[in-house]
Amino acid sequence: MKRREFLKKSGTAAAATIVAPYILPSGRLFAATGSRMTNHVVLVMFAGGVRQQESILQRYLDDSQVGDPYAGNIMYNMLSGAAPEQKIVYGTGDGGMNPIPSILSSPLDQQGTVFREVQALSAGHYGGLNSLLQGSTVTTQGLKQKPVNPTIFEYLRRHGGYSATDTWFIGNNLVNSTALLNYSVHQDYGAQYGANFLAPTVTFGPQGQEFLSDAKVYHPENELDPMYQLKYFLDNTFEQYGSNLETIGNTEAEKQSIKQFLEHMFDKTQNNSIDHAPVVDNNDLQSVGYACEVMKWFKPALTVVNLNSVDTCHSNFTGYLQNLHRADHAVGHIWNYIQNEIPEMAGSTVMLATPECGRNQNPNAVLDENNWLAYDHSDQNARRVFNMMVGPNVPSNLSIGSENNPVGITSDSMLTIADILGVKPEVQNGGMLAPGTQSLFDRI
Amino acid sequence: MSMQALKTSVIVLMALLLSLSSCRKEPDAVFHINEVELYSSGGDKTKRKTNEQYVAILYTNLFQTALSANDLFDIGECIQSIGDKELAREVIISNFMNKPGVILPSEEDMNADLDQFITDTYVKFYVRYPTSAEKEFLRNFISSNPYMTPELVYFSFALSDEYMYY
Repeated sequence: MKRREFLKKSGTAAAATIVAPYILPSGRLFAATGSRMTNHVVLVMFAGGVRQQESILQRYLDDSQVGDPYAGNIMYNMLSGAAPEQKIVYGTGDGGMNPIPSILSSPLDQQGTVFREVQALSAGHYGGLNSLLQGSTVTTQGLKQKPVNPTIFEYLRRHGGYSATDTWFIGNNLVNSTALLNYSVHQDYGAQYGANFLAPTVTFGPQGQEFLSDAKVYHPENELDPMYQLKYFLDNTFEQYGSNLETIGNTEAEKQSIKQFLEHMFDKTQNNSIDHAPVVDNNDLQSVGYACEVMKWFKPALTVVNLNSVDTCHSNFTGYLQNLHRADHAVGHIWNYIQNEIPEMAGSTVMLATPECGRNQNPNAVLDENNWLAYDHSDQNARRVFNMMVGPNVPSNLSIGSENNPVGITSDSMLTIADILGVKPEVQNGGMLAPGTQSLFDRI
Repeated sequence: MSMQALKTSVIVLMALLLSLSSCRKEPDAVFHINEVELYSSGGDKTKRKTNEQYVAILYTNLFQTALSANDLFDIGECIQSIGDKELAREVIISNFMNKPGVILPSEEDMNADLDQFITDTYVKFYVRYPTSAEKEFLRNFISSNPYMTPELVYFSFALSDEYMYY
């Protein structure tokens, strides 16, 4: 080969090498403009309306029930502090007298950073969940309507080149419009950039066992391929009329993987071998076991887990305490599972946990079996929550803000995820964040 | 004639008149199926089926019987619990195909008169006749794919976008 020809071929190859890394698997030409801090993020939407008084302030019954001046910490996987010594009702066993042992050797507030007093953008569930996922609340947001503004899932998929199975949303049931949250109706984003969603207590519960678990197995090349080919012909023919169904854009390979995952989960459910937490006696803990299985199978870039069993507080304060203790148990299990059971995510996952809203300062009139009053969520106290993050690049043993010095708003979580996974500039430039939203890293 | 006898006569007469007017031969009942008006094309379909409508119609198409309200609700929730709705429908169809009682044409019947099979399938799933181009494509496709059974053809139609519209 002559020198000129060699250089021409080498130059062409070099140019191709420079261009090639920017052709992402999703087909996107350019990588995100921000740099990625780590590879995985888990957001726990904790846990259905949590009062500061029973959580970060560790006042147990002291602040909520007249005549029961008993304080203590019932969230010892997440928070440092001594447990209550009297009127223990939140554990297992008769009357909840046996507290659930801690899973983590040191609580998460020692491993990471806690924002002790954060303003919630909404005092309600759906508004609160939306603020965590879309980084804002919109006055026109309906309760039975998909998010109006893009969610973090869509920002990641559109600007970060993440695939559908890189983004997962695990809901513990179908109430509170949870199933609507995996993508928005924004004209520039939408379903094609949405997250995969599962409500495992339904999918793998009695209904799923009856109608989803007994799928016929077809040969991938001989049977499924021609079936899909015919389907595509039919769809292309129909497309000329302008009607097309929204789809979150799982590739065929991703769909196969999800179907295999579903089959595997049905087997594990029947064998009672789902990787649940040590205690599994409510909906939240059931869902978290499957969330761990999703992370183990797919190793998503972003996993969002919704817990909401504490919402029993509308009518049962004892149940609220029990479910709060279990939500803490669930978070401990998630973190422990990631570090010990998923090598690809251990040491490269940041976890955030924050309530979507708080609960009222004053109780309603509903008494439970212990003669304790229940709490709704509508007043200013319901706009008080905390935030917590732990993982690589997160300072440990750091506490920011206090009861008299609030720092941060709930939409910070969404921008923090964007910051960690490298799409912060695109999210900020979109102009749809709540005023004052910052990445939690910028508030440290 | 006494008043009593007169009253009795009137009552008897009225009873006779009533029975005469009410005693009619019951008409022969005739039961038949109303003809369904077929769509002229896929473009006539502009409304999307809900999850429950889709499942109810699919079940009827496959099993020739109706699904119970409880099962309909449960399957609707199953679809809601999975974010990829097309994948959810595919899993539902796979489950239905594995249940006893699915009514499918045999391969022999399909191959004996492929054009009729194609037309019947379009009418069953799409409530319209196929165009010439559609018929030709399907004829060639099924003929050239030895593994393409009536079950897989039904699967494709049940999973297609047009089947989600009416």
